[in-house]
Amino acid sequence: MAVLEVKNVSSGYGEVQILWDVSLQLEKGKLTSMVGGNGVGKTTLMRTIVGLLKPWQGSIMFNGKEVTKLSAHTKAAEGIVLVPEGRQLFTDMTVYENLELGAFSPRAKANFSRNLEMVYEMFPRIKERLNQLTGTMSGGEQQMVAVGRGLMAQPEILMIDELSLGLSPLLVLDLFQILLRLKGEGYTILLVEQNVQMALAISDYAYVVADGKIELQGTSKEVANNAHVREAYLGI
Amino acid sequence: MLEQLLASVIDGLLLGFIYGLAAMGLTLIFGVMEVINLAHGPIMALGMFGVYYLSMEMGLNPYLALILVAVLGMVLGLVIYGIAVHRILDAPELSSLLATFSVNMMIIGLGTAFFTTSPYNVEFSMGSLSLGPIILPWNRVASAIIAVAATALLYFFLYRTPPGKAIRAVSQNRDAAELMGIPSTTMLALSFGIGSMLATVAGGLVATLFSFTILSGATYELKSFVIVVLGGLGNPAGALVGGLILGVMEGVIPVFIETSWVPVIEMVLFVLILLVKPQGLLGAK
Repeated sequence: MAVLEVKNVSSGYGEVQILWDVSLQLEKGKLTSMVGGNGVGKTTLMRTIVGLLKPWQGSIMFNGKEVTKLSAHTKAAEGIVLVPEGRQLFTDMTVYENLELGAFSPRAKANFSRNLEMVYEMFPRIKERLNQLTGTMSGGEQQMVAVGRGLMAQPEILMIDELSLGLSPLLVLDLFQILLRLKGEGYTILLVEQNVQMALAISDYAYVVADGKIELQGTSKEVANNAHVREAYLGI
Repeated sequence: MLEQLLASVIDGLLLGFIYGLAAMGLTLIFGVMEVINLAHGPIMALGMFGVYYLSMEMGLNPYLALILVAVLGMVLGLVIYGIAVHRILDAPELSSLLATFSVNMMIIGLGTAFFTTSPYNVEFSMGSLSLGPIILPWNRVASAIIAVAATALLYFFLYRTPPGKAIRAVSQNRDAAELMGIPSTTMLALSFGIGSMLATVAGGLVATLFSFTILSGATYELKSFVIVVLGGLGNPAGALVGGLILGVMEGVIPVFIETSWVPVIEMVLFVLILLVKPQGLLGAK
């Protein structure tokens, strides 16, 4: 069953249209990845889904209910959670405060202790630094806090924009391990990733975005074997 | 001479806490939504009149009246936010200056119509506290204690309660706050309400010490700007420190030269700080 259904959405900034008639579905418990070059509209699509941008046209359904025009905080409180590009932490606040703010909605608050235990267990490194201001942390540590904060929000859908951007290969491996684990635990995930090879390797389904449109979609295996994808994105 | 100086310093410090409280309201609003509230002074003046009416006309103890004034200040702030501030948040800075300046003019206009511009006085005295050679009016001591308590409450609210933390989150990154389910518009309105509440409480405290008119707010607004620049725009702790510095200056300067020099020296300091350390003594947020 589709948890999230994006139907014929167009969107953009001001007068500039970025997305053209985009449709996408997320299946419950599956890891879906969205790949494509820089500036093709992946982040715009994420921002439109969560409500930071209002769709110009089309609709967004969440668990069969229309959420197209809801504000970002309402969608977040219902479980549409985005770990944004560039992490966007509250940098003058401590790690613990960031995690706490992740659980702002009543839904998330109800599961606070359980989620906190899980985050501590997944990221022992941030558990050791609960009182550190996140602005003073390394990029990798910040990304862990950002994912942790997203998990604290009790996501029905966890969307992650550029998980590995700017991080060391070792850290990237760690974070992908975490993703695999989350997938194993039944989370519904939408991953935007510039590391196409790794994204396709761990996801169930994939969308290729080009020029604000869905260029191609299929199981990750099909997409990885597509001649055009191999040439344009995998460099094989 | 030394005793006189000591008395002036203590006197200035007591006043400084009230200045700091007023400036905190201004700096909180700027820190959260980058709006410079030019209606800050008149809102303070309304706090003065609030305490006057509740105590002199209705017979309430002025300090009890402050609680009611605080509530009214919050409501006033929410109304001003809804009417004048919310719609210009994404507009260029000039719009927010003009919008809050219009509110300033409206309050002063209505205030002049209702209260005229002649001075009012809250007649209320609790005697004096003698510490050796230093004699302090209890009114001043009590006002300073209330200002300190209000500051402590503000800090407790901002750092220990969920809505306070949410306000700080919105001030640091509004989009990220929305993504965490925090209704950022509500938090902005609440911050404006709190900023306005702090202004009315500070005004109310001033009213227990000095006579005032509907125009008196302007003086304190100007002081608040100096303090905010001293302490760093958007930094509440800096506002407290700045308030104390200004208070002490106002206490000590008249010991040496005529009182009329005080605003001159304050403004020179203001310009110097802007030139030398524009981020403020404690650094802007």
